[in-house]
Amino acid sequence: MKALFLARKDISSFFHSWLGVLVYSLFIVMTGAFFFLLLSGYQRLSLEIARGSVPDIQHVSLTQFIFGAFFMNLGTLFTLLVPILSMRAFSEEHKHQTLELLFTYPLSDYDIVAGKFAGLVWFLFLLILPSAGYIGFLHWTGVRLDWGMLAAGYAGLLMLGASYLALGLFVSALTDNPVVTAMMTFGALIVLNGLDWISSSLEGPLAHLVQFFSPLGHFRDFTLGVIDLGHLLYFLFFCLYFLFLTLRVIETRNWKG
Amino acid sequence: MSGSPEKLKTLPPENPVLVRLENVTKSFGSFQALDQVSLEILKGDIVGLLGPNGAGKTTAMRILSGYFPPTSGKVWIAGQDMSGQPEKVKKHVGYLPETVHLYGDMSVMEFLDFAVKVKGVPAAERSKRIEEILFQCGIWEVRRRLIGQLSKGYKQRVGFAQALAGDPEVLVLDEPTTGLDPEQIHKIRMLIRELGRTRTVLISTHILPEVSMVCDRVLIMNEGRVLADGSVEELAAGLVERQEVLLTTGDSTDGEILKMLERVTGIDQIHIQSTKAGKTTLKLVVSAGAEIGPVLTRLFVEKNIPLYELRISRLSLEEIFLRLVVQENPPAVAL
Ligand SMILES: Nc1ncnc2c1ncn2[C@@H]1O[C@H](COP(=O)(O)OP(=O)(O)OP(=O)(O)O)[C@@H](O)[C@H]1O
Ligand SMILES: [Mg+2]
Repeated sequence: MKALFLARKDISSFFHSWLGVLVYSLFIVMTGAFFFLLLSGYQRLSLEIARGSVPDIQHVSLTQFIFGAFFMNLGTLFTLLVPILSMRAFSEEHKHQTLELLFTYPLSDYDIVAGKFAGLVWFLFLLILPSAGYIGFLHWTGVRLDWGMLAAGYAGLLMLGASYLALGLFVSALTDNPVVTAMMTFGALIVLNGLDWISSSLEGPLAHLVQFFSPLGHFRDFTLGVIDLGHLLYFLFFCLYFLFLTLRVIETRNWKG
Repeated sequence: MSGSPEKLKTLPPENPVLVRLENVTKSFGSFQALDQVSLEILKGDIVGLLGPNGAGKTTAMRILSGYFPPTSGKVWIAGQDMSGQPEKVKKHVGYLPETVHLYGDMSVMEFLDFAVKVKGVPAAERSKRIEEILFQCGIWEVRRRLIGQLSKGYKQRVGFAQALAGDPEVLVLDEPTTGLDPEQIHKIRMLIRELGRTRTVLISTHILPEVSMVCDRVLIMNEGRVLADGSVEELAAGLVERQEVLLTTGDSTDGEILKMLERVTGIDQIHIQSTKAGKTTLKLVVSAGAEIGPVLTRLFVEKNIPLYELRISRLSLEEIFLRLVVQENPPAVAL
């Protein structure tokens, strides 16, 4: 409960800052661009099919064509977005030395980590929420949509985003420089993204092993409409692991301040 | 530390101990910022923590505020042990840090709203509480301004306001008047006195006159230890000046030694520091004035008890006072 007060404070301060507003607007513009590019791509494809110049691929539904790629694009965009969100979490407070007061408030370390994390995930949720408007738009034009796949896609986005944010939160607890935090988080996320790419160039059990650690590999199934327990567990452990590490860092706070 | 147990016995039950430190030590690596600090503060006291730079005042206050735990020793606030669930105990303490760093991008109201929520003020009482502290700290007019844009004095007041947000029984104020202009210093001191009517206040400072103006009781700290404890008048008269005696003697006779030492006038406290290899080391705290060295040696010789070592150190307050700010307004340097 108290953790939520902290989460709310963080979100409102993010919306108060020019960075928050900029990130929010840019993200909306970019998701809009993705959507309309994909939509026009689909229209062109349907036209070609109607003309007979391209064989009709029955199994590519509109939902799959547009949103499969849309979710994948957003997932990739998180690599850039998450470092900017998470760099503020602890580094910013550390830099402005506001943690001294926060640590003297009746919050447990667990509350503080949970609150910071909830604030970040909440903000991410607010970021991807407007894109649901595109679904509403398509629905309104009378297109048949695969609701299950859409739900899975959004669940996947939240899981992937939350995992990245947990990692970012941990990094931000380590340093008092937001820029360094953002760069380190970005680096770590690039490496994680790289796993997906590396595994595709490998073969056999090794490829499987690398793929197992790749967040994008687990995320891809969500964009195809598959919610698998294994994937859920992977993201759950990913989050818990980094939250646990963050808690450890927070507990040792003999900083001079 | 000194003699508080005796004091306790004579106090009525409505004056309970609100803050209690027992052998609190804080180390940063190999450096000891606090060394075996024990003290008790009663309900309704305004206690000044006086000491030069690096004495350990901030460290002690940070421990009380729950910012970090002590390396060893115990802390009780309002009868609750701080080591268990600090977040429960922290509710009773309002803390004003030495340098107040607040969320600059929040307005005064937003920040106080956050503070009362986190400090567990019930939803129905929140707006009333915020209004109260806004008035009490004189920041009603600036309540809609961003904290980052306030002057130092107003930021300090917002710092006070957040300390009061949870209606705490104990206020821990770390150098609350540094960096303010004389008029604001005066106002802040009035505020502290007013707050002290209903709460227990611990304030740290290295300004001597501030203590006599604001506090009922003074603790003098240096190099991580509490050297003296008493009222302002007692301190001024040098009554609380002490000597510390370390003596090492044979083990077998220690019961006898203790009885014998208890009868010596001038010895206020006896602590057994260590017992090893047939030797006992005792630490005595002796009031000033008593020429304790010759008395002790004579006593041990008479009783034929081995005395291996006797070390007397004067816990001189004079030196410490010299390093404190004794004058409020130092004369301006002629250029
Ligand atoms: N986090 C820390 N790491 C290492 N040393 C520290 C830390 N915090 C305090 N110290 C050291 O502990 C000693 C006591 O510091 P403290 O801040 O408690 O002094 P103080 O009495 O508040 O002094 P001042 O009047 O300057 O505020 C100092 O020597 C200081 O350098
Ligand atoms: Mg200090």
